Amino acid sequence: MLKALDSLIAVLNKMIVLLSTIAIAIAGGILSWEATARYLFKIPSDWQDEVTIFLLVGATFLSCAWVQHSRGHIGIQALASVLSPRLDRARRALSDVLSLLFCAFFTWKSWTLLLEAIEDHQISGSAFGAPLWIPYSCMAVGTSLLTFVLFVQVLSALTPAPSTPSSAGTAP
Amino acid sequence: MTTLQIGLLFGLATLTVLFSGMPIAFALGSVATVFMYFFMPHASLDTVAQNVYEEMASITLLTIPLFILKGAAIGKSRAGKDLYSALHIWLSKVPGGLGIAVTIACGLFAAMAGSSAATCSAIGSSAIPEMRQRGYSARLCAGLVAAGGTLGILLPPSITLILFAVAAEQSLGRLFLAGIVPGLLLVLLFALYGMFKFRSEVGDAQRVADAGGERARILQVDDYTLGEKFAALPKVLPFLTLLLGVMLALYGGFATPSETAGLGAILALVLIAVVYGAFKLSDLKPIFKSTLSESTMLMMIIGMSLLYSYVMSYLHISQSAAEWIVGLHLSKWTLFLAVSSLVVVLGFFLPPVSIILMTAPIILPPLRAQGFDLIWFGVVMSVIMEMGLIHPPVGLNIFVINNIAPDIPLKEVVWGTLPFVFLIMFAVFLLCLFPDLVLAMPDYVFGVAGARAG
Repeated sequence: MLKALDSLIAVLNKMIVLLSTIAIAIAGGILSWEATARYLFKIPSDWQDEVTIFLLVGATFLSCAWVQHSRGHIGIQALASVLSPRLDRARRALSDVLSLLFCAFFTWKSWTLLLEAIEDHQISGSAFGAPLWIPYSCMAVGTSLLTFVLFVQVLSALTPAPSTPSSAGTAP
Repeated sequence: MTTLQIGLLFGLATLTVLFSGMPIAFALGSVATVFMYFFMPHASLDTVAQNVYEEMASITLLTIPLFILKGAAIGKSRAGKDLYSALHIWLSKVPGGLGIAVTIACGLFAAMAGSSAATCSAIGSSAIPEMRQRGYSARLCAGLVAAGGTLGILLPPSITLILFAVAAEQSLGRLFLAGIVPGLLLVLLFALYGMFKFRSEVGDAQRVADAGGERARILQVDDYTLGEKFAALPKVLPFLTLLLGVMLALYGGFATPSETAGLGAILALVLIAVVYGAFKLSDLKPIFKSTLSESTMLMMIIGMSLLYSYVMSYLHISQSAAEWIVGLHLSKWTLFLAVSSLVVVLGFFLPPVSIILMTAPIILPPLRAQGFDLIWFGVVMSVIMEMGLIHPPVGLNIFVINNIAPDIPLKEVVWGTLPFVFLIMFAVFLLCLFPDLVLAMPDYVFGVAGARAG
């Protein structure tokens, strides 16, 4: 089952990376256009900052799961070299479980926030007034995927069969 | 429970989860959420996601992914190698010119890429083998590149300064300008030390040669024709133009910092496509992947650190800690020394982004009360955090060097960087003695600010 879940994550990650890449590239393009249009054509800026924020926040939350899949969220690994291998395994499993609990809670609150934004027709505070369900939906979907990846990682840590080691991040 | 007890518990819980190895972002988010549950109205838990979104949805903070994209585009091209080669050719007549070329190349590359690790890797991967081939000692090579790489967190567009601008509510434009002279000061100090060490290594080699021993490679002087010198320029000039163009757009009033980030990223992609033909999907994929990975990791730490700071502030932990520090009636420079020591110790374990966001609410009010200019402090704090990049136990740049030059033992890298830690300390001393080294440039461009204006 773990293999099937891993394949599913791999497919999802490909989509996430593609979408987030497009979002970042568009954000760069919009900001460049904003400066050029204002300076050369005297076109005022109104929607550009808001859309850029949505794109970049969306890219950040969507790619959270992909980063976690490669253990790219850095942590302090100072104890790894001090503890015995058995204790260190337990420490890593514990840190994964705690991360999973927090992310599951955050996911729940992200969905609540999204549903409220849809029900109340919430819009941003700027003059552009963009609907807030757009960035909130990226947050809800992104954190759900993150929780899913963490769940699979915890599951694989608890499964007796040896799992593929992945590079653990360390604090720079 | 009293605020003191809650504060101590908060600190203890933070240390426990951080040292459990949990990712920093989730660790800070977990502590904040648990303390919200126990010590804040339960309704506050419903706003956790909203708080994080609202803190992250800042156009200043969101320049970070675009500055990282600009750095990744330049970092993954051959720009670093070409920049270093051109400087080497132009400085070949200067004694120790190769070391000076490395330092200046690091400074220029850091200003284009904004990342310490990328600078170390891009310049070091071509400079270290060449320096070693020309007889420079392993320690000097490793030290120069590792120290030169640290300039990435000081010279604009420094991510550290962007975060400080947000945390301390200071002008980003001012902070970027304030980092330039201290950055140049460090380039000068590193280059002078490189020259001094070169002379000493040449002296040693000369003594061996005079005694009838082998004539070391370091004693040979390279000579380049004017044609060779000019031939090295075409690949470097577009990037230097980008660097100057971005600064001009920002300070000439043509673009805001966020627009500068967007323009810089797009122009960097265009430049590597034109200069190096890097326009295929296979060229762009690693650039965007590394941008996504680094920026997501950083933005999550930033979002959760801001939630953490919000809880600290709601529970009056940061205010009480700040009041306690003010109540100690420490002299101005004792306070500065205590805060600097705290930053150095935290730098052993935490990345600069977390240090700034976690400590700002506690350390900035006492510093402000003692009359420190926060623009000056932001720059000095960044210089202090540079030390954390080149000293054990974490020292990111040490491990980058170890990775790109595996033939240099880690011990040699550490010994090589040690003199540069002292040079950075000396630079901090100079900045304390002459604050205008930091403040003169922003004051000249924007006028004298805040309390100093009165």
